[in-house]
Amino acid sequence: MHMSDALVSPTVFAVAGAASLTLLGAAIRKMQPANRLSHATDRYDDRIVPTMGAMGAFVFAAQMINFAIPGTGSSGHLIGGILLAAVLGPWAAFVTLCSVLLLQCLLFADGGFMALGCNILNMAALTCLVAYPLVFRPLMRHAASPARIFTASMLASTVGLCLGATAVTLETEWSGITALPFGRFLLFMLPIHLAIGIGEGLATGAVLCVLRHYKPELLADVRCRRPRTRFRPGRALAAIVLAALLIGGSFSWLASSQPDGLEWAIERTSGGNDAAPATDALHRTAATFQETTALLPDYDTSLAGLVGCGIILLAAWGGTQLLRAGRRQP
Amino acid sequence: MNDRLQTALYALERLEEEARRDSPLHRTDARAKLLVTTIFLATMLSVPLARLSEILLYALFPILTAAQGGMRYGPIFRRSLFVVPFVALVGIFNVFYARTPVFRIGPLTVTEGWIALLSMLLRGLLATQALLTMIGSTGIFSLCRGMQRLGIPRPFTTQLLFVYRYLHVMIDEALNMSRAREARSYGRRTFPLRVWAPLVGQLLIRTFDRAEQIHRAMLARGFDGRIPDCTGASTPWCRRDTLYLLGWSTALLATRLCYPVEKLTRLL
Repeated sequence: MHMSDALVSPTVFAVAGAASLTLLGAAIRKMQPANRLSHATDRYDDRIVPTMGAMGAFVFAAQMINFAIPGTGSSGHLIGGILLAAVLGPWAAFVTLCSVLLLQCLLFADGGFMALGCNILNMAALTCLVAYPLVFRPLMRHAASPARIFTASMLASTVGLCLGATAVTLETEWSGITALPFGRFLLFMLPIHLAIGIGEGLATGAVLCVLRHYKPELLADVRCRRPRTRFRPGRALAAIVLAALLIGGSFSWLASSQPDGLEWAIERTSGGNDAAPATDALHRTAATFQETTALLPDYDTSLAGLVGCGIILLAAWGGTQLLRAGRRQP
Repeated sequence: MNDRLQTALYALERLEEEARRDSPLHRTDARAKLLVTTIFLATMLSVPLARLSEILLYALFPILTAAQGGMRYGPIFRRSLFVVPFVALVGIFNVFYARTPVFRIGPLTVTEGWIALLSMLLRGLLATQALLTMIGSTGIFSLCRGMQRLGIPRPFTTQLLFVYRYLHVMIDEALNMSRAREARSYGRRTFPLRVWAPLVGQLLIRTFDRAEQIHRAMLARGFDGRIPDCTGASTPWCRRDTLYLLGWSTALLATRLCYPVEKLTRLL
């Protein structure tokens, strides 16, 4: 799910980066209590940061231990968004996941640096800030049974991952990187991430059950009984819009292998597949202009360019090798 | 399992060691390196996919910076190959969808899709290599300080450093548990969920206990919620950094705006 730098265009990573930076700023502000002067809130502040650090490191370490998925030959691992949110609360979990993603990108080259904004939106924001409050929390109760914990984490993880997969598809499509039509790409991504989501849900549920058994006080964010919140139309509206987007995205695009309305109309009216080439002077100038500015107008020069570039690179690499050899000599 | 944990631990140590060496690139300010890497990535990623040869020219950046930092390019290249499967998985579809021929080498016709696939792979490789040279010549601590001085909020960078510091502790802990489990499981390799869940749950509980211990120890030593900037000292911005930033950013922007390879081949 980690997007590489190769899959995003400047516009997309700029927009996603700005959005995730804003979210990160909001999350940091939410974590810090409003009046920082009072002693009690200050203590809260400096205890949550080390705990978040430890949790982030835990997610890192836990991701490297795979478990066997029952019934299949494959294995899965924890991704951790829902688990972190259940233990730390959604905002702190979001900040923690951001730092985990940044470290994964820097230390293990997992996901790109420019694509970090996209990755934060796809993996951290959609699980901690969307799937957790909209799916997991409403399903949880005070002193929930293991079955309920399992169900809630399964549903939340699946929803989070499928939303993430949809976002990856959208971002790749908006970047204009792939020639694959949106619907097919989504069909390719969703089943994979549905399976991963089920694995992740199993893992999250299992760990949460263990926590509930041994150290129930850790599930602070789930256990504490909230005052019954009254129905908030904004939240419901967001959920409905999200569901509509998801459903619309998955189904309406499937049908688009048929020519769309405009294409159909053109075909009908012109009687052919394509508009006839225009012959007047303006169009001809435009056509020659397009030819000169086209990306690869002439294959000979582009092949030559490739070869020349390769030679330059080889020369540069050879030069650095020579330099190294020269440095080693004395 | 153990292999992965050990590899990760080893990679972390190697990185620290690499960052502690000395070279012109190591002496450059972290902020300058961060900015130049960002400019490199932004310019390289904005070149259209069809201009493969222009993207190829950008490979000069990782090669030259690696040389400047006294790092060998081979291992960096090999480590960057890690991204190939992920990019290829998405890029391979272009081959089937974009079939317009672009040029031919002998009997081989190269289509737009292949050019796009190659460009994507190259973009992935180069982006990773640039990151690897940056992190290898800077280290996490200086980089975090650099980010902080560039305006990333302090709670985030502090938290990042905490994750990084606890990482060693946690991987060690996980390695211990996994080893103990392996010694008692008679060669069975996979973890069924029934075994995995208590194991990871225990790891989580231990993590919390450990974090609390460390936190108390830190409080006893006067920790006030922020990690003091002792590593890397407070390096001032000097002329070398300005030169590095200006030189690379002009070169990169010029390459992006002028498309030199195409111009040269036209001339020839």
